Amino acid sequence: MTSLFTEHLITSLIAVPFVGIAVLFFVRGDVWVRRVALAVSMVALGLSGVLWWRFDPSIEGMQFVERTGWMENFNIQYAVGVDGISLILVLLTTLLGPLCVLASWTSIESKVRAYMILILLVEGAMIVVFTALDLFLFFMLWEVTMVPMYFMIILWGGPGRIQAGLKFVLYSLTGSLLLLVGILGLYLQTGRSFDMQAMAGHVIPEDVQIWIFAFLFLGFAIKLPMVPFHSWLPDAHSEAPTAGSVILAGVLLKMGGYGFLRICLPVLPEAAAEFAPYILWLSIVGIIYGGCLALAQSDLKKLVAYSSISHMGFVTLGIFAFNEQGIEGAVIQMFAHGISTGALFLAIGFLYDRTHSRMIGDYSGLQKPMPRFVILLSIFAMASFGLPGMGNFTGEFLVLLGTSFGGMLKVLLAMSGIVLAAAYMLWMLQRVALGKTRASLESLPDLNTREVFTLAPLVVGVFVVGLIPGTLTKKLDSTVKGLLERSPAMIESSSPPGG
Amino acid sequence: MPLFALIPGLPLAAFVILAVGGRRFADASHRVGIPAVGLSFALSIAALAEVARNGALSIPLYRFLDVGGLVVTVGLYADQLTVLLLPLITGVSFVVHVYSARYMTGDPRYRKFFAVIGLFTFAMTMLVMSDNLLVTYMCWEVMGICSYLLISHWAHRREAAQAATKAFLVNAVADVGLGFGVVLTFATYGTFNIQEILAQAPAMQGQTLGAFGFEIERNTLIALCLLSGAIGKSAQVPMHVWLPYAMEAPTPVSALIHAATMVNAGPFLLARLSPLVLLAPSAMAAIAVVGAITALYGALVSLTQSDIKRLLAYSTISQIGFMIFACGVGAFGAAIFHLLAHGFLKAYLFLSTGESLRATGGHAHEGHSVPAGRARSLAAGALLLACVPPLVLFSGPYEQLWNAQNAPAAQAAFWAVGLAAVFLTAVYAFRGVFALFGETVGKSVQARPSLFSAAHLPVVAICGVAVTALLSGVWAEFSEFLRPALGARSVETEAVNLTLALSISLVVAFLGWCFAYYCHLRPAAVPFGQREWVKTAYVLFLNKLYFDEIHQAIAVNPTLRVSRWLLRQLDDRIINRTVHEVGTVVRGGARVLEGSAESRVIDPAVTGVASLVTGTARWLERLTETGLTDRGPRAAATLLIRISGWLWQAVDRQGTGATLRRAGRVEDETGEALQRVGPRTLRHHLVIIVCWLSLAIGLTYLLAN
Repeated sequence: MTSLFTEHLITSLIAVPFVGIAVLFFVRGDVWVRRVALAVSMVALGLSGVLWWRFDPSIEGMQFVERTGWMENFNIQYAVGVDGISLILVLLTTLLGPLCVLASWTSIESKVRAYMILILLVEGAMIVVFTALDLFLFFMLWEVTMVPMYFMIILWGGPGRIQAGLKFVLYSLTGSLLLLVGILGLYLQTGRSFDMQAMAGHVIPEDVQIWIFAFLFLGFAIKLPMVPFHSWLPDAHSEAPTAGSVILAGVLLKMGGYGFLRICLPVLPEAAAEFAPYILWLSIVGIIYGGCLALAQSDLKKLVAYSSISHMGFVTLGIFAFNEQGIEGAVIQMFAHGISTGALFLAIGFLYDRTHSRMIGDYSGLQKPMPRFVILLSIFAMASFGLPGMGNFTGEFLVLLGTSFGGMLKVLLAMSGIVLAAAYMLWMLQRVALGKTRASLESLPDLNTREVFTLAPLVVGVFVVGLIPGTLTKKLDSTVKGLLERSPAMIESSSPPGG
Repeated sequence: MPLFALIPGLPLAAFVILAVGGRRFADASHRVGIPAVGLSFALSIAALAEVARNGALSIPLYRFLDVGGLVVTVGLYADQLTVLLLPLITGVSFVVHVYSARYMTGDPRYRKFFAVIGLFTFAMTMLVMSDNLLVTYMCWEVMGICSYLLISHWAHRREAAQAATKAFLVNAVADVGLGFGVVLTFATYGTFNIQEILAQAPAMQGQTLGAFGFEIERNTLIALCLLSGAIGKSAQVPMHVWLPYAMEAPTPVSALIHAATMVNAGPFLLARLSPLVLLAPSAMAAIAVVGAITALYGALVSLTQSDIKRLLAYSTISQIGFMIFACGVGAFGAAIFHLLAHGFLKAYLFLSTGESLRATGGHAHEGHSVPAGRARSLAAGALLLACVPPLVLFSGPYEQLWNAQNAPAAQAAFWAVGLAAVFLTAVYAFRGVFALFGETVGKSVQARPSLFSAAHLPVVAICGVAVTALLSGVWAEFSEFLRPALGARSVETEAVNLTLALSISLVVAFLGWCFAYYCHLRPAAVPFGQREWVKTAYVLFLNKLYFDEIHQAIAVNPTLRVSRWLLRQLDDRIINRTVHEVGTVVRGGARVLEGSAESRVIDPAVTGVASLVTGTARWLERLTETGLTDRGPRAAATLLIRISGWLWQAVDRQGTGATLRRAGRVEDETGEALQRVGPRTLRHHLVIIVCWLSLAIGLTYLLAN
C-alpha cells in the first residue's frame, strides 16, 4: 500500500479533488457540503505537503514520474511528474484551495454544492496543468480550467458578471486556439510526440521555432496576461466572486508563466532568445502601465487586478532574463504574488460581504470599527508593493538582479513600477483604512475567527518567502540550472558576471 | 561575540512578542519593550568597549539567499563607526520607550505603538550593523514603513493619514535610486558584502556604464545612488517635504525619527561606504552641494516658522544637511561626530517639547503660555540647541577640509555656508526660546535689559575658551578612534587650525544670538525688516519655497493625470474598444453568412439531399412492397433503406430502426432530465458538460485505439 501510494503520489494528489467532486454529489445539506469540500482540499494540501517533503532538490530532472499509455495511436500519454517549478506552483494551488472554500463559507448561500464542485474542479485541473509532462494532457486541462471559472463568474459574480464571463471565455478561447496551433506545430516538428521531456531533445529549425514560439507566446501572454492582451483580466477579477478572484489571480495567471518556463524555454531556446528583447520591453511597459492604471482605479478589486498586471510583468521580465536569478525570481514572484494578491482579494471579499460595495469612495476610517481587518489588509498591501522582508520583495529583487546583467535602464524603469505600487497601495490604504470613520461604517463587525484563520496562513507565507527564501530557492536551484544548461542559446544572450 | 547579535535581536523579539502576543499585553506593552531595548543599550555599550579594545568584529547569522552565483549571507559587522552609533540609537530608543510609557498612557493602540517602535529600533540597529548592502537596503525600507505606521498612529486624523502616505512615498521615490544603486553594485562587484565591495572599489576605477550615448563611471553612479537614498531618508532638498509633516506622529516618535533612526541613516550610509564615495569626486561635489543647500534652506525656513515642532523639524533638516555637506567634502568623521551630538540633543529637545505640548494641548505656537515648570526643560534644551551644535559642527570640518578638498572655491564655500548655518542656527534657536516663553522668560529678560552687559563678556569668553579646549580634546580622541572605519583619506589629522576655527564659529554663534535677541527686543527695528525684498524672502521661506506645491504640480498631479488618461483613452478606448470591435465584426460576419451561405446555399442543399433520400426510400419501399422477388435488387434496396434510416427517422421497420428508437429514447430521457433540471440552472449546464465531455473522450478513445 505504501509503495503504491509512493509510486502514484501525483496521481493520488490529482485524484483527490476529483474524488471529492464525486463525493460531493452525494452529500446532503449545505453545511456538510462545505465541510466535505474543506476536508477534500485539506487532504490535497496535505498530499502536496508530502510531495514537497519527499521532493529531492538535488535531482535536476522530473521526479515522481508516472507514465501510462492513453491514446497510443497519437502518442498521447498520461504522464505526470514534478520538478522544482511545478512543485512550488502545485503547493500554491493546493494552499489556496482550502482558503477559497473557507472564504465562501457564508458568503455563498445559493447552490453551495455546485460552487464547491467548481472550486475543486478548477483546483484539480490546475494541479494537472502544473504536473503534466504530456502536452496533450496539459492542453486539455488548460482548457478545462476555463469552464469552472466561467460559471463561477456568471453565476455568483457581481453586477456585470455576464459580460465579464463572456469576455473571459472568448479571450481564453482565442488564447487556447493560438496555443493549440503552437502545440500542434510542436507535435509535427518533434516526430509526432506530445512528450515534453523528449521534445526538449529535438532540434527544431530556427525559422520554424519562431512561428511556433509566436503562437505559444500569444497563448501564454493572454493568460498571464501581458499588456496589451490584458483587458479580460480587470473585468473578470472584479466581477468574479471572492474565491473566483483568488483562484484567478492566485493561480490561473501563473499558468502563463509556467507555460513559458515549461515549453517555450526548453523546447524553443533560439526563438526565445530571438524574442527576448521585445518581451523584456513589453514586460516593462506592462509593469508601468499596470501600475499607472491601478493608480487611477476607484474600485478596490480592479485596483488589485491592475496591480496583478504590473506584478506579472516582473515574472516575464525574470523569465526572459535567462539567468538563474531572473528565473528563480520569476517563480518566487509567482508564488509570492499568488499569496499576497490572493490574500488581498480575500480581504476585500470579506469587506464586500459586509457592505456590498467595492468602491474606495464608500469607505473611510475602517481602522476604528475593523482594526484586525486593517492590520491584515496593510500587511498584504505592503507585501504587494514589495516591502523587504515580505515575499514579493524577494521575487522582484531577484528579477531585478537578473535583469541588471542585460541593462541597467530596464532595472531603473522596472523599479519605478515599484514606486507606483507603493503609491496606489498606500493611497488605497489611506482612503479606506485611515481618516475619519463614516457614520454608516461605525458598526461594521470586525473579522471573525474564521476569516482571520483564512488569512493567517497567508501572512505566514508572505513572511516565510520574504525572510527565508531559501526554502523555495533550494527546491528550484537544480531545476533552473538544468533548464539553462539545456539551452545554450539563451545563455549566450545574457552574461552574469563571474559565471 | 555572538552575544552582540542580541542588540538588534532584542528589539525585534519585543516587536514579535507584541505583534503576535495579542491583547494580553495591552496596557502592559511597555513592560516588553523597555527591558528589551534597555538590555540592547547595555549590550551596545559593551560592544563599544569590545571594539575599542579589539577592533572590528563580525558575526555571521544565516544564509538568506542562494541563487546561482549569488549567495547572500546575513551577518553583523561592528566596527568603530557602528559601535559609536549603537549607543545613540538604543539609548535614545530606550529613553523614548520609557517616556512613551507615560506619554501614550490610555492610547487605544498602545500595544501597536510599542511594537512598531521596537521594529523601528531593530531596523536602525540592523542597518548600522549589517555587513551587507542588501540587508542594509531592506532595513532602510523597513524604517520607511515604520515611519508610515507611526505617523499614521492617530489614524482618525486626516492630516496624519496624508502625512504618513506622503512620508512613505517621498522616501519610496528616493529609494528607487538607492535600490538601483544596490542592484548596480551587485552587477559591478558581484557581491553585496560591504567590506568586499570596499576592498574591490579602487580596482573598479574607470569602469563605466553607458546609456543613451553617455558614459558614466560606475563608482560615481553608485555614489550618486547612495546620495539619492540619503536625500530621501535624511530629508534633504528637494525630498525634505515629508519630515515637517511627520510631526503628525506622537512626539516621542519625532524624537526617535530625528535623533536615533531614520534621518541619521543618510550620513551613516555615506560614511559606511566612504572609501567608495571618496573615489568619485564628482559625486562628492554633488553630495556637498545638496548638503549645503539643505543646511541653508532648513535654517532660513526655520526662522520663519511659528510652530515649535515645525521649527525643530526644519532645524533637523538643516543640521542633517550640514552632515551631508561634511560627507561631501570628505569629512566623514566630523559628520558622524555631529550626528551623535545632534542626535542626543534633538532627543532631549523633542521629549521636553512633548512635555510642553502635553501641557498646552496640541501644537504650540508663538504666544502660548507654558507653565513655568514644564517650560524650564524646553528652555534649557533650546539654549543648548542654540550654542552646542555650531560648536560640535565646527570641531571637525575645518580640519578635515584642508586635506580632503583641495579646491580653494570649495573651501571658501565651506566657510561661507558653515558660518551662515551657524549664525542662522543661533538665531532661530534663540528665537524659538523667546517665542515659546515670551511671557515667562521674555518678561524677565525685559526686566533686566542688561543681560548681555559688558560685565558678562569675560565670562562668555572664558566659557568659550573652555568649550573650545574641551572639544578639541574630545575631537582628537574621537577622530583617532574612528580612523580605521573610514576611508583612509578622510582622517589625516592636522589640528593646527582647530582652535582658531572653533573660536571663529563661537563668535559667529554669539553674534547670531545677539542679533536674535536684538530683533526680539525691538521687533520694529529689525535691520532691513521693512525692505521689500526681505518681506518677499520672508513670504517665500514662510511657505518653504513652495516645495510642497512644486511636488504636487510636477510629480503627483501629472502621474495621476497620466494614469487617468491612460485608463480613459488607452485602456477603455483603444484596447477594450478593439476587442469589442473584433467581436462586433465577427458577429456581423456571422449574420452575413447566415443570410447568404447558410440560408441560400447550405440549407437548401441539405434539405434537397434529405428530400431526395426520402423520395428514394419511399420509392424503394413501394417497390419492395409491390413484390419484387429478385434477391440482388432486394438486398440493395434493403441496404439503401438502412442507410436512409440513419438519415431519416421515418424508416423504422428494420433493425436499424430499433437501434435508432433506443437512441431516441435515451435522448428523450436526457431531454426530459434536462427539462426537469430546468434550463439556466447550473446543474443543467453541468449535465450538458458532462455529456459532451464523456462523448468527446469516448470518441477520441475509440478513434485512437
